[in-house]
Amino acid sequence: MEKIKKVLFPFLIPVIVLAAWIYATQLGKVPSSLLPGVSSVGEAFKRQIENGQLIQDLGVSLGRVVKGYAISIILGILLGALMGMSKSMWHLFHGVTTTIRQIPMMAWIPMIILWCGIKELSKVVIIVIAAFFPIMTNTLGGISSTPKEYIEVAKLYKLSRWKTFTKVYLPHAIPQIFVGLKLGLGTSWMAVVAAELIASVSGIGYRLSDARNMMRSDVMIVCMIVIGLVGALMDKIITLLFGVLTPWEKKGKAV
Amino acid sequence: MADTILKIEHLNKTFEVDKEKIDILKDINLEIKAGEFITIVGHSGCGKSTLLKIIGGLVEYTDGTVERNGKKVTEPGTDCGMVFQEHRLLPWLKIKDNVAFGLDGVPQDEREKLVKEHINLVHLDGFENVYPAQLSGGMSQRAAIARGLVSNPSILLLDEPFGALDALTRIQMQREIQRIWKEKKTTMIMVTHDIDEAIYLGKRIVVMSARPGEIKTILNVDSAAKNRGSADFAYYKKKIYDHFFEDAEDAPEYII
Repeated sequence: MEKIKKVLFPFLIPVIVLAAWIYATQLGKVPSSLLPGVSSVGEAFKRQIENGQLIQDLGVSLGRVVKGYAISIILGILLGALMGMSKSMWHLFHGVTTTIRQIPMMAWIPMIILWCGIKELSKVVIIVIAAFFPIMTNTLGGISSTPKEYIEVAKLYKLSRWKTFTKVYLPHAIPQIFVGLKLGLGTSWMAVVAAELIASVSGIGYRLSDARNMMRSDVMIVCMIVIGLVGALMDKIITLLFGVLTPWEKKGKAV
Repeated sequence: MADTILKIEHLNKTFEVDKEKIDILKDINLEIKAGEFITIVGHSGCGKSTLLKIIGGLVEYTDGTVERNGKKVTEPGTDCGMVFQEHRLLPWLKIKDNVAFGLDGVPQDEREKLVKEHINLVHLDGFENVYPAQLSGGMSQRAAIARGLVSNPSILLLDEPFGALDALTRIQMQREIQRIWKEKKTTMIMVTHDIDEAIYLGKRIVVMSARPGEIKTILNVDSAAKNRGSADFAYYKKKIYDHFFEDAEDAPEYII
């Protein structure tokens, strides 16, 4: 029974939505310009795959996400860890980062385009800004909540600051860092699509805005579904990575 | 004296809470010889854990002198291990890596030898590669003892190490620590609020009073008192009770 739940339940809602979609477009009175039929979206998807456009668009967007996301991971974990371990670093950065964090990612886009143009750099910068804060704040949370008992043990055995970081603070913070990595991945995916929607000639977000200009709702829906699925896939990869990196998390009280 | 391993003279410790100075420890004088098993009993909040942390170099003291192996204590050192009430094993390290935690900078083959030796000492063979969450409370404390002893320190400080264990496991662990003490001949200083434990393990018992933490008396326990059912055991128990409740209006009516 548990197994059936595990295998079937995730598909229950998609199936219901699909059924409602088929019902609305085939039997209902929803015009196809507002909501194209499942079959025409399927055909649009097939066409996009066959002419290689979808893969190319995805490749461009993913390339931007990978670059921006990687930079955010480095900067976010670095600053989060520094602020979590050092009071002076915390005082130095906390006010500034909290203030900057309040500025919505969309509000950055005009200035970023002004400074960095509309080529690759501006997209990467926008992703960095979007993904940096969730990663940084969660790293900070994980590091600074390290129990002082463990830190005392490190002090007792005279571990250097670096060793204390790698053996005590960092492993303790890993679960929360991964929460940040997941949130950051979501926001960087959102950021790249938003940036491409506003100013771009390539990428999945550009394809979406192009389809809008052409009134091609079928292509728009293909793009949205692909964006969702690719995001979910990347989220899953991070979850698997987390499992590999934290073997102690799944071991229960076995003995 | 040559075999004095720990010397505390006129030790004072004050904390400042809301700009008011509070005496935690007042004029502590204690001399401990190599190989002794000292137990320190007192009410909770009498500063006994603070005293232990001062000896271990984890907490600074206000004035007086504390000398470990003839050297003034200013920081922790490999000559002094410590076991806490909570096992404080790092959840992300396997038991063997937790035990090796105190061996930073020791060459690998030497480290492996020491870890194996001490896992064997605490009877945890076969559990080298499990994580702390997979061990019971008693076994976790065994691992913590192995970690405390792995660098072969001359002093092991025990801060209510069995306080969180169930009664039967506690008695079992008291036997274990006694066996380990006899085997390793490490000087052990244990803080506890369990009077039975203090009598059973301590060669000398330091009785402390609270606010400010002062040493009330130091009792020498002779070996005849080690049997929990003996009259000598009861004698020491009454003596310690009397120290704790001498000011109280109603002294406890029964003792054992």
